[in-house]
Amino acid sequence: MTAPDQIGSVTPIRRRPYGLLLVATPVLLVLWLIIWPIISAIITTLWVKTPEGNAFSVETYRFFFSDGYSLSNLSMTLWTTGVCAILLLLVCLPIALYLRFSDTKVAAYVQGLAIFPMFVPSIILSFAFIRVLGPNGTVDLLFNAVGLPHIRSPYLTPWGPVIGLVWDNIPLTVLILLSGLGNVSNQAVEAARDVGAGRIALLWHIILPRLSNSILVAISFAVLGIFSAFTLPYILGPAAPEMMGPFMQRTFRDLYDPQTAITQAVVTFGFCIVFGLFYVRSVAKNRAA
Amino acid sequence: MAATLIHRKIDWTGIAFAAVLTLVIVFPLLVVGTWAFTNVWRYPSVIPQEFGLRFWNQTLARADVWSSISMSLTLAFTVTALSAAICLPAAYAFARLDFPGRNLLFFSFLAGHAFPKFGLLVAIAGIFLQLNLIGTFWGVVLIQLVGTLLFMIWIPVAAFQSVDRRMEEAARDVGASPFRVFWSITLPQAGPTIAAAILLSFVGTFYETEGAWLIGAPQVRTLPVLMISFINNQPVIQYGAVLSVLLWVPSFIALLFARRVVNSGSFARGFGG
Repeated sequence: MTAPDQIGSVTPIRRRPYGLLLVATPVLLVLWLIIWPIISAIITTLWVKTPEGNAFSVETYRFFFSDGYSLSNLSMTLWTTGVCAILLLLVCLPIALYLRFSDTKVAAYVQGLAIFPMFVPSIILSFAFIRVLGPNGTVDLLFNAVGLPHIRSPYLTPWGPVIGLVWDNIPLTVLILLSGLGNVSNQAVEAARDVGAGRIALLWHIILPRLSNSILVAISFAVLGIFSAFTLPYILGPAAPEMMGPFMQRTFRDLYDPQTAITQAVVTFGFCIVFGLFYVRSVAKNRAA
Repeated sequence: MAATLIHRKIDWTGIAFAAVLTLVIVFPLLVVGTWAFTNVWRYPSVIPQEFGLRFWNQTLARADVWSSISMSLTLAFTVTALSAAICLPAAYAFARLDFPGRNLLFFSFLAGHAFPKFGLLVAIAGIFLQLNLIGTFWGVVLIQLVGTLLFMIWIPVAAFQSVDRRMEEAARDVGASPFRVFWSITLPQAGPTIAAAILLSFVGTFYETEGAWLIGAPQVRTLPVLMISFINNQPVIQYGAVLSVLLWVPSFIALLFARRVVNSGSFARGFGG
């Protein structure tokens, strides 16, 4: 295992500073459009206009954490993210386990299906969701045809974004878990079977301990994507309370209140920072290996 | 004998997964496809009363559809070309040259992935507001360009690193110029992976909705942004369905060409798997 600060060796003829020139433009873009906005967001929300001129103040954060509407949006975001993370694990872990231990034609088809949503843009998914599960959608049609009552549609309820976000996140969650299952050797599984381990014991004692890091990576990746998701919650979710993504967008564009929107953004950074750092560390470590 | 028995066993688990996933993933998209080729489909009929292409003509006759298609394509081509122009030389430098701070700078492209994306977009929008870039074409180009950096550097770096150095040296030994070596040895070996990265960047940019909506609206209207307004305010279902089918074309092309890259273990590892 190489240390995470290595990206493979080069065999330089000599140290050439003009390599720096070649990488300068993308690096400057990262500094200007990622690092600087984050620093600037923290500064502009803490260094605010007061009657005595600009001064340090936590007023914008005090407002966020004392405003009932902001708090209900935050708690809905936390609820949605938590429920999606649990559902993703419940759905994707069995699929990944099945794909790891079978090589039939059916398994190839299942893998193709599990990865397929990666090639379906969220916006098409939103539309499909409304046509199938919305009022008078296909499910209603089919239920009606066989004499069953109307379902209460999840469209425009908190469950709308949950279903959409889980659907959207299946491919990468399955791929990350499957990649992690590559660390579980067939010999270890065979050996455990030989001494009479059942499926549950096998999962608990052999597979899960080797998979725990991949599970954390998959969850971190999903949390980072879901916590500030915009398109699916905006289209499928309720108008109020709303998730942080639509809330920030409305505050910035409809209410013309950039400072409050940036405060909301920094709050999302704060809630996701542990997941973000862990995720980036894992990706860097893998890349270095 | 035992082996053949096991081999012939029906894969019930797989069949159950396949059935559920087909229902959950393929069925909703089939419904949208059906709507796109339907002239009349009134509740409570389970199948449409009349199939036809009437709404294709109507959708393609709309000026807003054409302007958003051309806006999306212009944006995707501009962003992908800029991204390739600045990232591919950088990827070559990271893979082949040694310079101060090489590792730190290489991992700096991960910075954006430590934060929730839309929060970061709002922070960038705050900067763009001061620079008068909100609602402009170049504002959207910049925000989408940043989204392509990691992919367009990391995948090509891996491609350049996997080129057989001994072949390059052998070509040099028999007198080939550096450019000739790059053109005849390096590029053919690294080319397919780089092409897949470019294709994924193009498709990713084409479908990028959040930056385009937050930074570009209402002046810059891409196809996905138009689709949002169709979903929210368009009573004619077929318009959205036809637009969905049109929208899916680039993704379908990506599916055909980039599937090999996505299915490779290194792709999942690139996401931390």
